[in-house]
Amino acid sequence: MSQEGAPLDEISFSDFLDDYYAECDEHLMGARRLLLALETSIGRGPVNRSVLDELFRHFHSLKGISGMVELRAAEQLAHHLEDYLRVLRAGEAEPTRDGLDALFAGTQTLEQVIAARRAQMPLPPIDAIGSRIAQLIAMDAAPGVAQPPLADAASRAPLGARRWHISFSPSQELMARGIRVDTIRQRLAGAGEILSAAPRVTADGAIAFDFVFTGRVDAATIAAWQGDGVQIEPAEGTGGIAPGAVSDPLPLDTDSPVSPAILAPSHVVRVDLTRLDDLMRNVGDLVISRARLGETLGRVERRLAPAEWRSIQENVLALDLQVRTLREGIMRVRLVPVGEIFRRMPFVVRDLAGETGKRVRLELKGQATEVDKFLIERMMDPVLHLVRNAVSHGIETADERIAAGKRPEGTIVLSAVSAGDVVRIEIADDGRGVDATAVVARARAGGLPVPAGSPDAATLLSLICAPGFSTRELSDRASGRGVGLSVVKSAVDELSGAMYLESEPGVGTTFILDLPVTLAITDALIARAGGDTFAVPQGSVREVIEVATAAMLQVERNEMIAYRGGALPIVRLSQLFQTGEAARDRLHVFVVGTGSGALGIAVDRIIGQREIVVRTITDPLVRVAGIAGATDLGDGHVVLILDPAVLARQMRDRPSRTYTAGGLGR
Amino acid sequence: MAKILIVDDSATIRKMVRASLRPLEDAEFVEAGNGLEAIEQIALGPVALIILDLNMPDMHGVDVLKFVRRHHGCRDVPVIVLTTRGDEASRETAMTAGATQYLTKPFVPHVLLSSARDLLPAVARRDA
Repeated sequence: MSQEGAPLDEISFSDFLDDYYAECDEHLMGARRLLLALETSIGRGPVNRSVLDELFRHFHSLKGISGMVELRAAEQLAHHLEDYLRVLRAGEAEPTRDGLDALFAGTQTLEQVIAARRAQMPLPPIDAIGSRIAQLIAMDAAPGVAQPPLADAASRAPLGARRWHISFSPSQELMARGIRVDTIRQRLAGAGEILSAAPRVTADGAIAFDFVFTGRVDAATIAAWQGDGVQIEPAEGTGGIAPGAVSDPLPLDTDSPVSPAILAPSHVVRVDLTRLDDLMRNVGDLVISRARLGETLGRVERRLAPAEWRSIQENVLALDLQVRTLREGIMRVRLVPVGEIFRRMPFVVRDLAGETGKRVRLELKGQATEVDKFLIERMMDPVLHLVRNAVSHGIETADERIAAGKRPEGTIVLSAVSAGDVVRIEIADDGRGVDATAVVARARAGGLPVPAGSPDAATLLSLICAPGFSTRELSDRASGRGVGLSVVKSAVDELSGAMYLESEPGVGTTFILDLPVTLAITDALIARAGGDTFAVPQGSVREVIEVATAAMLQVERNEMIAYRGGALPIVRLSQLFQTGEAARDRLHVFVVGTGSGALGIAVDRIIGQREIVVRTITDPLVRVAGIAGATDLGDGHVVLILDPAVLARQMRDRPSRTYTAGGLGR
Repeated sequence: MAKILIVDDSATIRKMVRASLRPLEDAEFVEAGNGLEAIEQIALGPVALIILDLNMPDMHGVDVLKFVRRHHGCRDVPVIVLTTRGDEASRETAMTAGATQYLTKPFVPHVLLSSARDLLPAVARRDA
């Protein structure tokens, strides 16, 4: 007999809260994306039926799972939202601006309710938004409203893309190879658009699945699919627009036509980040072991016959290459598209623009740019902060813009581009620009040291990033919370990044963040200064020059050299860290930074170029600005890694020559 | 072993259903996240009981149900429709399409469990 009196009381769905929150995140994210797509389509002809369907399903699922974990407020609110979409879907009403605003507001409240529950905080009220939606439903469901023309999938078929009939017969053998109907569905969704999918009983009583699909499929793909139990043949006629319409499943560019909401799932494996971290650490150890091997070999070289030595050298070179390939491979695995953080931004901008009564358009560029997963999590807040800052401080109100002869709608461009080991994120607005006079006045009022003369961009940036600085008397909840840009600055510093400002009054402001694509292992130039060895990340060095000490000019307490038609301030590492100095005729100089942030770091000699493992120094007692971390070169000695961006800033801000390195613990 | 197929597009709900039915002896669980996957599971082996959600992408639960009832191999498999509280019409539609039982979410674990016990064919309920 089966157990009749099973201990049912032990089942508590609160054990599933983590699953619940994770699934809520997915649905809320999906709902927002669709709402933005819907917004762009308002007043532009037929409403995309599949967008409404999918939106409905998100709210329906949120309702279902919220009920299971007894979060009644979320269940109710999702229910209202679902009801309204049911009305829209049934064609009883056309989505209006008001309706859409209510959907946005409802989604936002829903998110707040779920977040509040997660943080075990009191839940925000939902009655107001609930009755607002109920009112809309009552109004829209009134008879006599014209039915909106709903576009079905077939009429949206991409032009030039071909229509195909595809049939898939599942089998145990295919399933053992991991090929299931869902595999096929995902493949098709990734390569185009599925117009219909249905099961069928074949003549011999088995089950097959028929898909009608439009998309571009080449001969090689057809051949590969046929090997997986798929039959594919062109259907009658061709249809539609460019196939590019389906290449980007996220309709993020607000100017693009609404694309069918395909959640093209790719062949992706989810891996716990800590496993990748472990793997990365292992590779780091391997890099150090390789360096140790090099040291040891150097000592025994003389004792070996040349032929033997050559064969060892060959093996070592091969090993080098393999270690590097392995390292690069693991780094690639850790890379994720920056679009992951960008895609939240349209929603943020929309909300904030609504609150401030401004009209703002957000353009996203370079979302496919890849950065390390570790970084992306830490970049989220700074980027979010700068985007909010652009809306609330950068962009003017529509009236102000019209008065200034600009388009009433402001534009914010958020872009990412990678160059070598650095990814550059730019947040550019076409707003009023930074008011230098106001910044200086405010800084003086706040007791901050302000250099004489009209401040350049770098000075302005350091002023507005100073802790406690805020140009707005009222710290608005949107971008300030009273902490200003100093949090952005410190977040960027923590990531060993650099931040720049470009601003022109009346034309706009651009914040530029240069961040390393990845941390942990990097190529570095190794140099000696005084009695010590330092490592300088190669990505930050623009140029290496050799300078005669006689050519160095003393300007007040600083040294300068003539460099590319200008003057380059020089800092001697041996003096900076007081490591003692031998008199030398010539010095090597690393040129880092650009514009007014450029700096020459003078060392006695460059030893070579090495792959180094960065161990960040986290102990605040040992941490020193200008030092990014430490590394082990393999000979057992710990070498400090310089942070050129911070050094450049330190030199500019505080032109004192000596630098206390006390407590470095070396 | 009685194979129980849990069909729901929410992974959280599938987990909850599984946990609720865990006291069943000799039960093996298979899951499907959408209607097509459900039909595939049905095609690949005899299923003793289906727990079916209605609102799913690509293929609605009612269409899965209709297909199941038409297909000779699984015409008699008991199907518990487990769906988020909707309108009366959806119950009517599901029952007409051949649902054996209609339960709503949020569901109570022991109600689902006892329904499953009642509906599992006698052979599957016997001790191995």
